[in-house]
Amino acid sequence: MDSIEPVIFIRNVVKSYGDLRAVNHVSFEVPPALCYGLLGPNGAGKSTMMKMIYGKALRDREGGEIRIFGFDPAADELAIKHLSGVVPQDDNLDEELDVVGNLMIYARFYGLPKKIAKERIDRLLGFMDLNEKRKVAIRELSGGMKRRLVIVRALLNNPRLLILDEPTTGLDPQVRHLIWDRLRKLKRDGVTILLTTHYMEEAFQICDRVSIMHKGEKVLEGAPQDLIEKNIEAYVLEVMDPSKLEKVCGLCEDPAIRQDRTGDMALLYSDDIAKLKAVQEGMEPGGCYLRQSNLEDLFLKTTGRSLNED
Amino acid sequence: MKTETMKIRIPALPARIISVWARHMSVYTRNLFSNAFPPFLEPLIFLAGIGLGVGMFIRGNVDGMPYLLFLATGLIITPAMYTASFECSYGTFVRLEYDHVYDGMLAAPLTYRDVIWGELLFVGTKGVFFSLSVLIIVFSIGIVRNPFSLVTPFVGGLTGLMFGAIALVITSFVNNLNYFNFFFTGFLSPMFFFSGLVFPLSNLPKPLQFVAEILPLTHPIRMARSLCTGRLDGTIVFDFFYCLLFIVVFGYLATKLLKKRLIF
Repeated sequence: MDSIEPVIFIRNVVKSYGDLRAVNHVSFEVPPALCYGLLGPNGAGKSTMMKMIYGKALRDREGGEIRIFGFDPAADELAIKHLSGVVPQDDNLDEELDVVGNLMIYARFYGLPKKIAKERIDRLLGFMDLNEKRKVAIRELSGGMKRRLVIVRALLNNPRLLILDEPTTGLDPQVRHLIWDRLRKLKRDGVTILLTTHYMEEAFQICDRVSIMHKGEKVLEGAPQDLIEKNIEAYVLEVMDPSKLEKVCGLCEDPAIRQDRTGDMALLYSDDIAKLKAVQEGMEPGGCYLRQSNLEDLFLKTTGRSLNED
Repeated sequence: MKTETMKIRIPALPARIISVWARHMSVYTRNLFSNAFPPFLEPLIFLAGIGLGVGMFIRGNVDGMPYLLFLATGLIITPAMYTASFECSYGTFVRLEYDHVYDGMLAAPLTYRDVIWGELLFVGTKGVFFSLSVLIIVFSIGIVRNPFSLVTPFVGGLTGLMFGAIALVITSFVNNLNYFNFFFTGFLSPMFFFSGLVFPLSNLPKPLQFVAEILPLTHPIRMARSLCTGRLDGTIVFDFFYCLLFIVVFGYLATKLLKKRLIF
């Protein structure tokens, strides 16, 4: 057993809800101690994909293969859950109990003896900066504290795999950075991490690899920086008032510039920064912004700009 | 990753079910007084109002016993029915759809069966507890005297399991809290009056007696009455097996039907 087996092995997985294909022939692998991000708009199938990994959702019959630590969730969900910690999208804490009370309930789910549970709770509350909140009622916790507490809960059994569904949605920048920092530490300790996110910055900050999902399919996969370099122009000129572009439309019609008009804004993409600068200088000053392209640009390019609300 | 070297010690089935039970117990007992006092008081108010009030007009014995005893033996059982029904309808629905309690549980090493059976064990426990608390009152004020009555909390536990299971089956179909009104007003309330609690079934026309014999509440009430009066005969064995069969059938259906609401 010298070759490194992936912690997560997903091949050709299909999941349908009635006529809707929520996940359509998705494959990916996550080797140990790596952070893998699933990106995509709402309804792309990220959460469903994640739930299939720990048996909360079942893939279709003949719906491909899933192996987590070598276990199939359809047959060995308990082994997978024992080795994994899950941070669901909602903070489903028991409001009736205090911080430690909530954690003791889960320690019992994992079958931890009381003494070990208490030691771990102490250590993990310290790890997530919640030490002073031990006896605090859940309703008195801020959103960021609740989120950190759910992460502590997921870490109770010393998981080898941590699964997080939108871990920092709705949190302030301080808490987001704290969570990212702790996730990096866990990764250094050998924990494999799988997360879903809408935040491109989050993916960029902590994910070694990401895949972008759209309408149940994996459309792109790779290291965040590679994906940007290979799939989108290096620079973007954001123009708030596209009517200004009329004066310089000669410069814009260059084949090296790709235009993307969205509502009352125009985005000009190019690998040649000089050409974009020329456009910028040709316009009246103000109302435009030249920057490097980022994962968000790539995300919007691959998944489109329309809202995904149906 | 070498799976061989990883320690995987998953708690055994009984420990998993008890861990779910323990979660419900700690959440419930956190506000024990406000949670438990009203359902405990209700049968006593009924006993005082109907037993002492209406009972004044009842001359002689009912079913061979004073009316107060007749009524009290049934009222040991009904709080078990109501709390189990509430817990596994409104309670389960809120845990499922609003509080997402089961999402968390199912991410821990628990199966959907552990979750459902742990919940039933909890309402069974509540059944024992509420029957016991009413028994203590009616025993200490001298309405019930037979030592066999000490077994009735166990019948309360069976009642909790029965109505927990049927409420879970109902919940598996419900998408809106308001639909539970049909269960309470359409099923439980009439049963309260037609299961030999307030008046003997022998007062009913024959066809209705047959219907009452099918209704689940009839059987634990008759068991409790036999135990409280010491009139033990073969009927109690029949009633016991009716209760067991009911729990097995509806417990099985609840597990099968609720699975679709938990794992999808």
